[in-house]
Amino acid sequence: MTRTSRLARTYGIAIVGVALATATGLVVHDHVTIADQAMLFLPAILVAALGGRGPSLAAAALSVGAFDYFFVPPRFTFAVSDMRSLITFVVMFVVGTAIGTLVARLRAAEEASREREHRTAALLAFTRDAAAATDVEGVEAAIVDHVRDVVGAAARVEVPDIALHGPVAIRLEGEPALSPEQHAFLEAVAHQGGVAIGRLQLASAARDAALRAKAEELRSALLSSVSHDLRTPLAAITGMATALRERTAGENEELDTIIAEAQRLSRLLTNLLSITKVESGAEPRREWVPLEEIVGSVLTRLEAELAHHPVAVDLPPGALARVDPILVEQMLLNILDNAAKHTPEGTAISIAVTREPDAAVIEIADRGPGLPPGPRGQVFDKFFRGKTSAAGAGLGLAVVRGIAAAHGGTIEGLPRDGGGARFVARFPDGAPLPDVEDVEDVEDDGLANAS
Amino acid sequence: MTGDVILVVEDEAPMRRFLCSALTSHGFRVAEAGTLASAERLATESQLAAVLLDLGLPDGDGLTLLRQLREWSHAPVIVLSARDREDDKVLALDAGADDYLTKPFGTAELLARIRVALRHARGQAVPDDPVIAIGPMRIDQARHEVAVDGEPVHLTPIEFRLLALLAQHAGKVLTHRQLLHDVWGPRNTHQTHYLRVHMAALRRKIEADPARPRWLITEAGVGYRLLDE
Repeated sequence: MTRTSRLARTYGIAIVGVALATATGLVVHDHVTIADQAMLFLPAILVAALGGRGPSLAAAALSVGAFDYFFVPPRFTFAVSDMRSLITFVVMFVVGTAIGTLVARLRAAEEASREREHRTAALLAFTRDAAAATDVEGVEAAIVDHVRDVVGAAARVEVPDIALHGPVAIRLEGEPALSPEQHAFLEAVAHQGGVAIGRLQLASAARDAALRAKAEELRSALLSSVSHDLRTPLAAITGMATALRERTAGENEELDTIIAEAQRLSRLLTNLLSITKVESGAEPRREWVPLEEIVGSVLTRLEAELAHHPVAVDLPPGALARVDPILVEQMLLNILDNAAKHTPEGTAISIAVTREPDAAVIEIADRGPGLPPGPRGQVFDKFFRGKTSAAGAGLGLAVVRGIAAAHGGTIEGLPRDGGGARFVARFPDGAPLPDVEDVEDVEDDGLANAS
Repeated sequence: MTGDVILVVEDEAPMRRFLCSALTSHGFRVAEAGTLASAERLATESQLAAVLLDLGLPDGDGLTLLRQLREWSHAPVIVLSARDREDDKVLALDAGADDYLTKPFGTAELLARIRVALRHARGQAVPDDPVIAIGPMRIDQARHEVAVDGEPVHLTPIEFRLLALLAQHAGKVLTHRQLLHDVWGPRNTHQTHYLRVHMAALRRKIEADPARPRWLITEAGVGYRLLDE
């Protein structure tokens, strides 16, 4: 509607302009030359040309007609007697066309720049909103809002899993036809939105990591100070109790209990520290260790606890594992201590080591009541306690799982055929077995101070 | 030596009291220090038989005292430490400490360690006699022969060298580094798995049940000890 009325107005201006020029020419006809009268039409063409190429050409054509009819002799006919008037016609046409074209071009450029400005403003508004967003949802909402404003369609935003500054996908409802400008806008929004989301994801990841590190640091500091503060009096208690025990002749159950309980507390503290260490992500110090060394060490340390359980050891001589010996000793100690506590006196416990091509497997099996019913693996949860009357804070097996995981290994608690429980720990080597032949070679010439 | 004192360096008063009373009740004379400064003073004033040294002191690191002490004294130093402080123990042992005790410990352990340390300090373990007898083992260092329960046992040269070293220091812990250095030479002190493999082989030859060693004890994260009683 507005377009046609605008068109009508511009052509109207052309007609009125030419009419005015003609009227003026007629009024001043007796005082001026024919060339002056021709000049009167130029303003009319100029003014009409502002309306575009069409009105400008129309004004030129009308001017030529009016000039010829009213002023070129013979007057009041369209006949032309003088060739010079023809030149005037041509000039009028050329001027009209040239100005009209120039104006049209100007107008198009202006239109384009306004369009650009509009798009830039829209994009700017979007970028501002996206930058102000504090979370991914906020950026998505900004995308949806601005796409609706510019394209006029509802949109859905799909963020790729790893956005990291890549574009997001914008899905438009009803798939409307898009102008190149709208398309460009959408592309820019998709990229800008991706950048904003990537930035937010990075920021939130960094914030999470910083928080985690801080919490971890606090927990470690707290635990090691707690453990130091608990250990020190514990060492004094144990010392004093053993000194008293030495001086007391004969049986003394009270003192024995104090000593045993203090030792238990000490072991509990060690577990508490181990789980902190393992869970803080400290890398285990892995080296090739003959498993008989670790098993031997554990059995020696648990001599008292295992006094009432026959322990069968099946261990291929020289079987190596690439593990942190201190951690794995702690792990086996916990499993065996657990087995000793939860199985009736006199029942057998077995330890079996097998080598797989790229892993060492340690299996500890007992003939006790088996694992408590419930989801598999729950015995390894922190503070999980079976229904037995045996005491324990439920840390021992959590430490076991933590240590296995720190080695990239696994631990499973399984029922055993014929009754009892079976704990299977698997430690992948993660490196080729060392050349033991190499070790033998050293014997021949590697002695430093052969005596 | 009865006139010599055992210097107890421990900042926790109850622990110090326990150590002192356990030692005095077994006939030792003790001097006690709760700080590095007083320990330094006491160490120069007294004729030391041995030192019990807690590594964490309020005014400094026990290692500092150990290093100073080692410049002029051969008195055995036994370090007191917690279970998860293996690195500290190794550091102290390699810096010249003779042994360590893991807290908590009882009087029996304390006295056993002190006795071993004093015996070594008095030079009783220096093998004037080329034959060392420990438990069922007879180690003839001149002939490179070992017998367990009277039965000759064949050891490789490395196994023999390891066993002889441990026997010379019977009762004392030797770190991985010390053993590697003495057997393989100064350039091989990081090849711990060589040591472990040979130790496992040695244990299979001298222990009745290698899975329950009675004599050749692993000190996890630190080294090995050959018991002598």
